[in-house]
Amino acid sequence: MNRFNTENHVSAPFDRELESIRAQVAMMGKLVEQQVSLAVEAFTNGDVHLAKRVLAQDDAIDKLEKNIDSECTCVIALRQPVGHDLALLIDVIKVTNELEGIAAKAEGIADMTLQLNESTCE
Amino acid sequence: MDNSKIAHHISENFNKELEDIRNKVLTMGGLVEQQIEQSIQALTSGDIELAEAVIRQDSDVDEFEMMIDAECTQIIALRQPAAFDLRLLLVVLRIINELERIGDLAERIAKVAIQLSTTNEGRTDEYHELKHMAGLVKEMLHASLDSFARMNIEGITNITGSDAAVDREYASIIRQLITQMMEDPRNITRMLDMLWTVRALERIGDHSRYICEHLIYMVKGEDVRHLSQAELEYIMSK
Repeated sequence: MNRFNTENHVSAPFDRELESIRAQVAMMGKLVEQQVSLAVEAFTNGDVHLAKRVLAQDDAIDKLEKNIDSECTCVIALRQPVGHDLALLIDVIKVTNELEGIAAKAEGIADMTLQLNESTCE
Repeated sequence: MDNSKIAHHISENFNKELEDIRNKVLTMGGLVEQQIEQSIQALTSGDIELAEAVIRQDSDVDEFEMMIDAECTQIIALRQPAAFDLRLLLVVLRIINELERIGDLAERIAKVAIQLSTTNEGRTDEYHELKHMAGLVKEMLHASLDSFARMNIEGITNITGSDAAVDREYASIIRQLITQMMEDPRNITRMLDMLWTVRALERIGDHSRYICEHLIYMVKGEDVRHLSQAELEYIMSK
C-alpha cells in the first residue's frame, strides 16, 4: 500500500508535491544506507580515501534533509492537510531527522578511520 | 515574559493552546535539566539510589514527549496555522525530540554511576573536570530553554558558541583518561565508564545547540542547521 496516497487528492498538484517528497525521502534513505556501508568498509579496510569520500558526501544528505523539511512545511502551510496526510508529513520530518542522525554516525565512523590511520602512521 | 508572539490571536482558545504547549515544553525542559543535575550528582557522590531515581524518571520525560507531540499535531490539524505559529508548533516537535534524547543521555550517565560505584572500591575521585564540563552543558541547555521561554533569540550565538568550549573540555578529559589507562591498565574499565559519561555530556551540548538552531528557524524562518558558528553569527547579524 502506498502510504503517500499520491493519486487520490482532488488537487493534482498536491499529489505531485507528495510524490516529490516521497521520492526525496527514498533517495535520502538510499544515500544514508550507502554512507553506512562505505564508512564501515573504510573502517575495516583502513581505507583513508574512502573515509574522506564519506565525509565529503555528508553535505548532500544535510541538503536533502533541509529541502524535504522545507517542502513538508510549505505543503502543511499551503494545503492545510488534516488526518492521514498531516500525520504523514509530520512523520516525514521525523524520519529525515533520524536519517540525518544515522548519516552523522556514519560520518563519525569515517572520522575514526582517519584518526586511527593517522596515529598508526606516526 | 514576552507574550506578544503567542497572545495575539483573535481566538482566545488558540492563544491558550499555544501558551499551554509552551508551558509543557518548559516543564519538560526543567525535568530534563534536573535529570542531568541528578545523574552527575549520583555519579560524583556514588549515590546509587539517586541514580535509580533518574532511571525511573526517564519514563516521565518520554510521556511528556508523547503528550506534547500529540497536542501539537492536533492543533496543526484543527487550527491550520501558518507562518510563525506553524513554525512554532513544528519547532516544538523538534525541541521535545532533543529534550527526550538529552533525557536518554542523563539516564545513561545514571547507569554508569551505578556501574562505577560498584567498581570504585572506596576510591574517591575529585571529578573536577567532569563537574566543570557538566556545568557548561547545563548552562547551554538552560540558556536555550530560557530563550524559548522568552521567544527571543537575541544573543543566541553566545549559547551556540559555548559548544566549542564543551568540545575542548571533552578532548582534554579524553586525553587524561587515556593517560590514566596507560599508567595503570587496571583503570581501563573505570576509565571507559568515564569516557561514556563525558561523551554523553558532549552530546547534551550538541542537542542544546540544536535547540538554538530550531529557535532561530522559528523566529527568522531560516533553516540554519549544519552551519558553522561563523556562518550562524553572520546570519544572526543580518
